[in-house]
Amino acid sequence: MKTDVTITINGEPRILTVEPNDVLLDVLRTTAGVKSPKIGCERGDCGSCTVLLDGKSVRSCLVLGIEADGHDVTTVEGLDDAALAGLEHALVAMNAFQCGFCAPGIVIAAAELLGHEPHPTREQVQHAIAGNLCRCTGYEPIIDAVLAAAEERSVTA
Amino acid sequence: MRILAGGTDLVPWLRDDLITPDLVVDIKRLPGLGDLDVVDGALRIGALVTFADLVASPLIAKFLPMLGEAAGTVGSVGIRHRATLVGNICSAVPSCDSGPPLLVHEAMVHVIGSEGGRVVPIREWFLGPKQTVLDRGELVAHVTVPIPPVPRGAAFVRLSRYAGEDLAQASVAVLSLPEGEWRVAFGALAPTPVRAPAVEAALSGRQANDGAIADALRLVPDAIAPITDMRASKEYRMAMAGVMLRRALHLAETRRAGAGPAYGTAVM
Amino acid sequence: MTDVRPFEATAARTLEVVGTAATRIDGLEKVTGAAQYVDDIDFGADLLHAAIVESPHPHARILSIDTSEAEAVPGVVKVVTGEDFPFTFGLYMKDRYVFAQDRVRFVGEQVAAVVARDPKVAKRAARLVRVEYEELPAIYDPLEAVGAGADLLHPDLADYPHVPWFFPHAGTNIAHWRKTRKGDIEEGFASADVVLEDTYRVPRYAHCAIEPHIVVGLYDRAGRLTMWSASQSPYTQRHLFAEALAPLGLSDKDVRVVTPYVGGGFGGKAGVSMEILGAALATAVQGHPVKVRWTREQEFYNTYQRQGLVAHVKLGVTRGGMITALDHTLHWDAGAYVEYGANVVNAAGLSATGPYRIPNVKIDSLCVYTNLPPGGPYRGFGYSEFHFGLESHVTRVAHAIGMDPVEFRRRNAIVEGDTLAYGAEMNPSGIHEAIDRTAAAIGWGEPEEPTVPGRKVGKGFSLFWKAPAMPPNASSASFLKFNEDGSLNITVSGMELGQGYLTVMAQIASEVLTVPTRKIRVETPDTDRNPYEWQTVASHVTWSCGNAVRAAAIEAREKIFDVVHRVHGYEEDSLYLEDEHVRCSTDPEFALALRDFVINGLEAEDGTFKGGPIVGSGTFMPEFTSTRSDPETSQGGHPNVHYTVGAAGAVVEIDPETGKMQVRKIALAVDVGKAINPSLIEGQITGGVVQGLATVLYEDMRFDDHGRLLNPNFTDYKIPTARDIPDEIVPIIVEVPQPDGPFGARGVGEHTMIPAAPVVANAVEDALGIRITSMPITAEKVALTLLAANADQE
Repeated sequence: MKTDVTITINGEPRILTVEPNDVLLDVLRTTAGVKSPKIGCERGDCGSCTVLLDGKSVRSCLVLGIEADGHDVTTVEGLDDAALAGLEHALVAMNAFQCGFCAPGIVIAAAELLGHEPHPTREQVQHAIAGNLCRCTGYEPIIDAVLAAAEERSVTA
Repeated sequence: MRILAGGTDLVPWLRDDLITPDLVVDIKRLPGLGDLDVVDGALRIGALVTFADLVASPLIAKFLPMLGEAAGTVGSVGIRHRATLVGNICSAVPSCDSGPPLLVHEAMVHVIGSEGGRVVPIREWFLGPKQTVLDRGELVAHVTVPIPPVPRGAAFVRLSRYAGEDLAQASVAVLSLPEGEWRVAFGALAPTPVRAPAVEAALSGRQANDGAIADALRLVPDAIAPITDMRASKEYRMAMAGVMLRRALHLAETRRAGAGPAYGTAVM
Repeated sequence: MTDVRPFEATAARTLEVVGTAATRIDGLEKVTGAAQYVDDIDFGADLLHAAIVESPHPHARILSIDTSEAEAVPGVVKVVTGEDFPFTFGLYMKDRYVFAQDRVRFVGEQVAAVVARDPKVAKRAARLVRVEYEELPAIYDPLEAVGAGADLLHPDLADYPHVPWFFPHAGTNIAHWRKTRKGDIEEGFASADVVLEDTYRVPRYAHCAIEPHIVVGLYDRAGRLTMWSASQSPYTQRHLFAEALAPLGLSDKDVRVVTPYVGGGFGGKAGVSMEILGAALATAVQGHPVKVRWTREQEFYNTYQRQGLVAHVKLGVTRGGMITALDHTLHWDAGAYVEYGANVVNAAGLSATGPYRIPNVKIDSLCVYTNLPPGGPYRGFGYSEFHFGLESHVTRVAHAIGMDPVEFRRRNAIVEGDTLAYGAEMNPSGIHEAIDRTAAAIGWGEPEEPTVPGRKVGKGFSLFWKAPAMPPNASSASFLKFNEDGSLNITVSGMELGQGYLTVMAQIASEVLTVPTRKIRVETPDTDRNPYEWQTVASHVTWSCGNAVRAAAIEAREKIFDVVHRVHGYEEDSLYLEDEHVRCSTDPEFALALRDFVINGLEAEDGTFKGGPIVGSGTFMPEFTSTRSDPETSQGGHPNVHYTVGAAGAVVEIDPETGKMQVRKIALAVDVGKAINPSLIEGQITGGVVQGLATVLYEDMRFDDHGRLLNPNFTDYKIPTARDIPDEIVPIIVEVPQPDGPFGARGVGEHTMIPAAPVVANAVEDALGIRITSMPITAEKVALTLLAANADQE
């Protein structure tokens, strides 16, 4: 029983035809063609599919597409310059990621943190990204880069 | 029929065909289920209130800080943004983190259905793993939690395999109230979260000193019925229940005295 | 023929790019979400999806398969079974089947597949395939499997083709038995003052790359097979696909493997595992692309797993602190099929002395079939597994003679020129520098206070080593071309798994050609276009492919000098490159920008043009290796190109009541020969240390008594989160050059996870006085072991 939903994806209202049991992750990737949220576990354990739903980070594999009807979804492609300020630069400059598969989810989680906590402690960064599994990096360079981005913002602000 | 609120349990269960409901009803657009307020000396927590809401709530911090402490241990940020306290007690897994705090706070579960409403004391709520008294066609509108009298102190102590997102291997909630009243509940140590009345009786009227704690700990094995599963062995759970209760009693007592580590500080 | 001068010839010159912490050339793509992985490629509306019918039994005979009900489901395009693909495959031994034939040997083994328009339809229809089984006795324990009267898992073992360095024992469950013998073992123990022996157990582990395995195959109507594969081994896959499907008339040139970015490998995406299904199914639905994407659960139970190990260590030492003899017996739980895993067993069997000089050695490494999923390559390739027992044992034996365990290691550590267990000579190594700097970093020998009263602090130490396990002719190749603006494209077929390989290749080319890395693009593999690479495994690509890229760059440089010489008359040996210009040592005024001629050539005085597009190619094969040796002793060959060595030490704080451990500090020193990019090496150390610690603190695969994996998910297979890492990781880079490596570099990727387990085991003993001989060492195990020890004392 397919149905049409309207989801505002990265600022653009999209009318999408979905099955009621399609998860938002599949709707984004397959129906809407937004590929940065990744399929890692499909049960809410790994965080690779993290997106912002009305500004809050959620695992898009745990949300049905129809639940997002009438709501805003933001992926890493749609983060605005203010949210990203310094973050991408620090992550690249510090070689924070390796395989990169977890990166879109972690960037979302980190941007959300910096949005409400401009001067996070190391522990706050660890908590903010604790739902995003990374097998390559040991997390340290990612945490360092998020802290460096926060530092950079306070210097330039 | 299944009710969908946060979906953090329901959606993966659907995906794995662990449940095959003919109908899933999303309640997120029903009015009035998102309330988090004080009504008649109790906190009312609506069915749509998420763990993130609880962590951020000044009312929770002021009146039920231990519930906030427990909420902060659930999943991770992205889970807490969706998962609800009401959904947690409806899923009713033995490790359910809201179970022990609600038990010691003697919460009431407000159920509505086509036949009208009913109010179920949390002690009567859980029937077994993933089983509650909720009938088909009913849903939980909200939970009310009485604001405990002062001075009070509480602690939620949780054991898991590591600090990151994990289901509890064991949990203990302790509430210390005026006139030497103690309330104790355990999670993941029996088929459901359980109160421990005998343990409470041994503590009643006493300070949490070595003697009282020793008396309480002796009664722990009879208060719980842990099993061996993927997350921990029965032996480890049994051994840790005592360690956790001792630490929780100390925490609650020092907090009642206005000292002790802030709510949310891990002690395991 | 390009002259690849040894690195010493260039070392005299100051290195500009090699040795710097260059920014990853794939960094921005990954941070912005632009990086494309296989599942991000759009295959259009004709894409089909496969679901696999799996064995519910660990060992059973297949009596019948009825696919009629599944075939009747609307949307189902094709249902296939073993009858459609009666082919075997395998990397080192052809013991594996595309689909199960007459029997299944592990829970989860592929029996049939359903291809449908929609993945949910495929999944539903797969459940309707009726398979009738006759259950057979199953064996999970390798010691039981080699015992008398054990049921045979592979009665046809004698008939399986295999590489010449494997020694299967037909009529048993031993698929390969590597024996290494040196000196006189009995004499060695007789001359020891103390002989200590014990058994150590290591369970199975999962790689847990965050990207699950995925392959998309298209067998087009002209008979070409194109595979988009999340793989560490595009060329190996191409050849194995062609080989397995040769009965259908496919040859290597008909198969194209495209590998974009891979979301982590760790060995799990080496060789061919589930990808064979994509290749087979593509041929079954000719003309339509078909996708096989593993769920996280399948990722756990039907890809390679790190093999389980039962290790018996017997070590003899003198009171003076010298090792006299080692008898090391390794029984590997290699699983149902060992086509790749047997080489893990082989590698360990050659090197299970660890990085020690031991005069008398007896190693038996047995690859044993069991009814568990196929074992295979996993970062560390057998070395992580045997180091747990060996390095635990070294600390214990040092204590037994009253010697400091670090001092004991210093005395016995192997150094350049020492004779390895199989007879060849040890390569240059900075092991003593690694030991000293690691010990200093963790304050070895200095007591430390716990951060919380009642907790205990312990320190642990371990050495490690590892050599690439490769066929003797494993090789690499590279093409390089200039663009009009003087930028470069380089094609290679090593894989960017996250380790930073593309960046390192760019740095090597940059060093030779002076083109900055931001102007160099290194392409991910496509076997139609990129030149050959054996596989991205064994921590060898920096070394091997680095040599190939360096050779290609040198060839291009020589072409540049040749055309400049022809047009301007300068002697070629007076020319050099600087800042993307050709300069001349005899004419300081001369400077010619590369961008001015690397495509369009140089205009000569007569108005003609000389030169043309500058391209280079390079190859590398280690021409000094050989696997020919005596099967009874392993003496005579030169199977390993070099060993990378190092040391690690940790400070661990333990809550004795709960067993909870916090690694306050862990230092790891590794001799990389030359750090081409120190930042990327620190990334390998940090990531490897955390992955290694996870195997000892949190993870293990648990099977029930029916061979079913109980924790095929991250809910119960606990890989660390950002909150489960050491307080401090101290990376230490040691640089004793490898003469045949590019700029002196040798491999480093796998090594950094090897020592974590024994370091923790040794720290736990130091803190609490208990010795745990089985992995993992969880909080639960520590607490219960301590409770039992205290109960014994009372």
